[in-house]
Amino acid sequence: MTVLAVSNLSKRYRRGGKPFAAVDDVSFEIGPAETLAVAGPSGSGKSTIARLVLRLLEPDAGRIQFEGADLLILSGAALRARRARLQMVFQDPLAAFNPRSTVARALDDPLRIHGIASRSERPRRIAALLERVGLDAGLAARAIHEISGGQRQRVAIARAIATRPSLIVLDEAVSALDVSVRGQILDLLLDLQRQERIAYLFISHDLGVIRALAHRIVLLEAGRVAESGDARTVIASPQSAVGKALVAATPRLNRIKTP
Amino acid sequence: MKRLHRFFQTPEAIAGALILALLVAIALAAPLLFPGDPQAIAGPALLPPLQNWSLPLGTDRLGRDVLAELFHGARTSLAVGLAAAAAALLVGAVVGTLAGFAGGLIDEVLMRITDAFQTVPSFLLALAFVSIVGPSLGVVIAAIALGAWTGPARVARAEVLSIRERDYVAGARVIGMHPLEIAFREVLPNALPPVLALSSVIVAAAILTEAALSFLGLGDPNRVTWGGMIAEGRTVLRTAPLLSIVPGIALVLTVLGVYLAGEGVVESTAVRRSLS
Repeated sequence: MTVLAVSNLSKRYRRGGKPFAAVDDVSFEIGPAETLAVAGPSGSGKSTIARLVLRLLEPDAGRIQFEGADLLILSGAALRARRARLQMVFQDPLAAFNPRSTVARALDDPLRIHGIASRSERPRRIAALLERVGLDAGLAARAIHEISGGQRQRVAIARAIATRPSLIVLDEAVSALDVSVRGQILDLLLDLQRQERIAYLFISHDLGVIRALAHRIVLLEAGRVAESGDARTVIASPQSAVGKALVAATPRLNRIKTP
Repeated sequence: MKRLHRFFQTPEAIAGALILALLVAIALAAPLLFPGDPQAIAGPALLPPLQNWSLPLGTDRLGRDVLAELFHGARTSLAVGLAAAAAALLVGAVVGTLAGFAGGLIDEVLMRITDAFQTVPSFLLALAFVSIVGPSLGVVIAAIALGAWTGPARVARAEVLSIRERDYVAGARVIGMHPLEIAFREVLPNALPPVLALSSVIVAAAILTEAALSFLGLGDPNRVTWGGMIAEGRTVLRTAPLLSIVPGIALVLTVLGVYLAGEGVVESTAVRRSLS
């Protein structure tokens, strides 16, 4: 039983009038409580894949099966309801929230939209979510711009797990954080995966982080899959040119602890 | 507090705020200082100003108290100006947000309608609307708003086009928010500041349009308006020019006050932006 199965996914853009393939015939699968890393240099189509899987972009070709059902035939209310199971954490936690929002409102929205808790019950659920991601429940009343970057990313994770998803797409979710905070967030993600059996689609260019978190890896080059397999095996001895280049560009690799 | 302090930094803003405060005081005091009908006859016709201390600005052609008319006219001018501007900003912001957020066919249709309204001079539009529907305060407000909503709509659309690509809009979609809720709860409030910056110009233009409509006899006949007073005074312009000049000055001061205060607000927010 796979959570997400992507097959032959393609997305073309027009750049300067000429079509070019941002994602070209990409296939992969993610099982329950598994982390699949999608890595590659800038412009290799990583973020496009994230947005295609979330139906923020429409693919030109290919299939996306989510929890055994075709995700691409859904639209309108059916798609919005399905989104409860398929969440995302963005790279820049400041840009990912409405600048006028408070922490409580950001967490209240998914609970309200998916009818998870009644109005009177929601403050308690929000407090529980904040505590689940290691934040003080008193933070709820603060504005989004008043808390630190690391706290904001924890709130983003709390928002993603509010609807009890089976898959969270992490689009460079720790890249904008400073190194000390990054480790704590990775620990939180690993802990959530163990407890709630959430699968992660982990988009990153940082092989050190991928090695610490991911089970399997897909390496992209110019929209195509260059190499895939067990994360530690691929990082230890990359076969493709792009894999070798990425490993060579990761100087701190031997100092990262493995899970 | 800080924002208020910054607002009062420039002399223009102080002057504008003082004029507006005075106008609001006049409008609020009108029924207290001049209870009863300002359109009732109060004394002999065409009494010059400063002759009779119970009628300091004299009387008009029909013997009505000019000062009372001036005070009550301030109520009409401010009410029409603010209501028309509010209606125009509301309609413009909603249309602009829908067009910018929905894109595609909805955008095309809404923006071609906006074009159509913009190609017709707004005063002509107001004139035609009032003469068809008939003059009353509500109709005058609607007529003025009809010609003024296109500016805010365009500004709102441009702003929405940039905001809809932001991550937090994608985030709202990811948590399953309804597109209309995204448009009006996530996008619109963040697109408002540049739209609101237009408000002073729109209020000033609305006050002038109302005066022009009244001057042409298309204002609400049951209300005193400065435009109507100027029109009344026109027939005796040679013998009693002050009957036209006094409401004219009031009109100029009002528009100036609104404009200066609006500039002050824009200026103070601009300073805030460059500091942060």
